[in-house]
Amino acid sequence: MNIEKILSHHILDHDLGIMFGGFRLPITVHSVTIFCVSLFLFIALVWISRAHKNRTGRLLTTLAEEYVSFIRDGIVIPNMGQEGHGFLPYFCTLFVFILSINLAGMFPNMKTATSNISVTGALALCSGILIVYSGLKFHGLIGFIKGFVPSGTPVWLVPLVFPLEIVSTIIKVCVLAIRLFANMLSGHMVLICLLLMVFIIGQMHWAAGVGSVLPIMALEFLMTCLELLVAFLQAYVFTLLTAIFAGAVIHTH
Amino acid sequence: MQDLLKPDLGVLALTILNFALLVFLLAKFAWKPIIGALEKREEQVRTDKETAEKARTEAVQLKQELDEKLAHISQEATRKMAEAVQMGEAQKEQLLTAAKGQAELFLSQAREQIAAEKTKAISDIQSQIAQLSILAASRVIEQQLNEKEASRVVEQVLQEVKNK
Repeated sequence: MNIEKILSHHILDHDLGIMFGGFRLPITVHSVTIFCVSLFLFIALVWISRAHKNRTGRLLTTLAEEYVSFIRDGIVIPNMGQEGHGFLPYFCTLFVFILSINLAGMFPNMKTATSNISVTGALALCSGILIVYSGLKFHGLIGFIKGFVPSGTPVWLVPLVFPLEIVSTIIKVCVLAIRLFANMLSGHMVLICLLLMVFIIGQMHWAAGVGSVLPIMALEFLMTCLELLVAFLQAYVFTLLTAIFAGAVIHTH
Repeated sequence: MQDLLKPDLGVLALTILNFALLVFLLAKFAWKPIIGALEKREEQVRTDKETAEKARTEAVQLKQELDEKLAHISQEATRKMAEAVQMGEAQKEQLLTAAKGQAELFLSQAREQIAAEKTKAISDIQSQIAQLSILAASRVIEQQLNEKEASRVVEQVLQEVKNK
């Protein structure tokens, strides 16, 4: 049994090999998943946002309002202040988008695209752009650059602190991508490895393999519950950290 | 597995495009109406809260005013009652004094009347005694009675006086 091959098959992204004018289009399983999730979110949220007369519609609209209220009062305003109000749609989309992609892997024929460093990198890059944009919007170019040097820093330390602060901001954005990627990947790897254990034990003796099914399924169930929790937690952490970093740029030292 | 950490720039670009488009579309068609409805609801709640707070303040103020009025009325009633009691006491004293004066007047008048009646009675008695004495004497003289007879006549006259 080639475990590496099995893991690669289940975890890595697969190019669907669609070509256009001699160029390879980046249409992969993860891209398709992201597109499907985006389409579903767009249709669902646009439908929910409409005024409804039936009970279910009203309930969903109220839930959506509560969700926006949670993002605004729990994440955006405490970290970015009233200046963050304009970025509320971004944060609302970011949380629900990451959460949906994290959960997409729970459905058959779909994969958790956030276990792909390119996807999390793209999301982190978007957040990085938002951080820089909010700094430029509220402080201007000069003010934004000045913000990289904490007030009270001795002049002779500025050449050292300035690049360090820039690198620190870049690292923060990179860490956003790596954290989400690593968390989602590790969860899936554990799930697959647990399943593979049945076959590994089964190779030793068929009876042991059969006997290990129930305990391993119980562990699988527990890990799936943990994965669900991690899916919510990582979406929250990514959104919260983006708000904190943007808030730190808006309200400088 | 080495591909795990190798970024695919095509997927990265496509994800950015996908996400940016989703943010734009959702901001325009979903979040805007939801945020608008939320803010409207919050505004409504704020207005209702303010109205309720205002009504509560007014009710408290009204209660305070009513309490003050009640206290004032109670104080006034106590004062009026005290005045009435005082007035009653004064009238009672006045009536008692007047009654006493009247009684004393009646008493003195009665005493005077009794004294006058007594004097008059004594005078009448004296006058009658004198008349009877004269009458007895005249009878004694008229009949020329002996001593025994005379004593009997005097006794008779005295008895008549007693009977009268």
